[in-house]
Amino acid sequence: MQTSLDELTKDVSGLVTLPDVFVRINRLLEDPDSNISDLAKTVSQDPSFTVRLLRIANSAFYGLSSTVDTVNKAVSIIGTGQIRNLALATSVAHSFAGLPNTLVSMEHFWRHSLYCALLARLLAQRTGGCDADAVFTAALLHDIGELVIFNRLPEQAKEALLMVLDSADELPVHIAEQQVMGFDHSHVGAKLAQQWQLPPMLCECIAHHHDVGAARHFPREVALVHIANILALMAEVHTTDLADVPAIDPHAWTVSGLTAETVVPATLEEVQQEIDDVEHLFFGG
Amino acid sequence: MSPPPAYRMPLPIPGFEHIRRAWSDTYETYSARLNPGEYYVTKNDECVYTTLGSCISACIRDKVSGIGGMNHFMLPASSGDGSWKAAGLSSATRYGNFAMEHLINEILKNGGQRQNLEVKLFGGGRIIANMTDVGMRNIAFARDYIQTEGLRVTSEDVGDIFPRMVVYFPASGRVRVKRLRSLHNNTIVEQETQYLHSIEEKPVSGDIELF
Repeated sequence: MQTSLDELTKDVSGLVTLPDVFVRINRLLEDPDSNISDLAKTVSQDPSFTVRLLRIANSAFYGLSSTVDTVNKAVSIIGTGQIRNLALATSVAHSFAGLPNTLVSMEHFWRHSLYCALLARLLAQRTGGCDADAVFTAALLHDIGELVIFNRLPEQAKEALLMVLDSADELPVHIAEQQVMGFDHSHVGAKLAQQWQLPPMLCECIAHHHDVGAARHFPREVALVHIANILALMAEVHTTDLADVPAIDPHAWTVSGLTAETVVPATLEEVQQEIDDVEHLFFGG
Repeated sequence: MSPPPAYRMPLPIPGFEHIRRAWSDTYETYSARLNPGEYYVTKNDECVYTTLGSCISACIRDKVSGIGGMNHFMLPASSGDGSWKAAGLSSATRYGNFAMEHLINEILKNGGQRQNLEVKLFGGGRIIANMTDVGMRNIAFARDYIQTEGLRVTSEDVGDIFPRMVVYFPASGRVRVKRLRSLHNNTIVEQETQYLHSIEEKPVSGDIELF
């Protein structure tokens, strides 16, 4: 019997809970009476997030010229919206530790996600016109539906992966998933993102990173995550040849205003220099 | 997803009927899929492909007539490991010899000429960290074997940390190697481990007829 998409995600929302600090920051940001010092206080209540935040604020990731030594300073320099993104980005891997699987190592999974996030941020910085740090978080979360499928439907997930390996025609994973399950990880991720009430931009990027044309309100961000996802596949296997990976939707180039020639191999070289440091910043102990 | 009507699946060489073949839209030709431990030889204009973790594939063909094929194997772990080269006839070496001889003999049996043989090597990746490098052992065996046979490797893509998909066209000698993302590591390791268990349970015995 086929598991429906609704059953699948309803089941999971109890197992994976969003980081407390993210939920509280979210609530504060929606409260018109709150101010920056309220936010700083909330952040400070989570010592491990505070440490990560200060470490990130002082790293090359931001490249600030002055030292950020207090939470107040971090909040005012980095910005309240971005603090929310960072709270999600630095702890989401921890949240998903409750969904283990035997198909893919978590380390490999998050490394692909982080490649995608860094590349999406680089692309957003190049094109301008959208919030590069928010796009970073959207890209980091783009495949979360995969972790749900791997944990809840391991047999079908394995069947889909075997189909991919069995095909000389380089069948994309999401197409194999659709053939086996009737839906793919982007649908599962989108459901989960909705249940969590993640910001609409994040929801759209998770839902449509394989289907750029379906984006309604954030076509640019979705296009960037789509391109970054394919570039991340290239970065993972150290290739700079676009023929080695699934094709990038031409619509994504049009919407983003980018071209293959201007981003390959430049962003790939850049991301290889960043990845180890940033992996330590976001996922390190 | 089906071939144009003019293309009928070519008949396999007798003995290879069990190898699964299908039309490939990407390559616009029939394609034979090798699992670990299998090999395939063809005289037709078709391709043969496989996915490799620490296993190795030799792609060999007669560059004049275009008869050729691919194998896919690894050496079983043998007791007194590391001694395969010195001992020469350990069960591991016997198994490797078996895989290589089968491929070469089948090519020669179907009209290939020894002096025309062209060899390419792929695989032997180190896809699990902190494990003895079985990929390297397979590479070393294959290179050694080819040298001993007086053949030459004209191109290779071996070692490193990536699994690979290898697509070989014996008629032209063309090869496409695609590195696979780490998402596939565990699945490939599982397939190769099953294969390894199967060959360790059934040791190869008897001599191989040399041409």
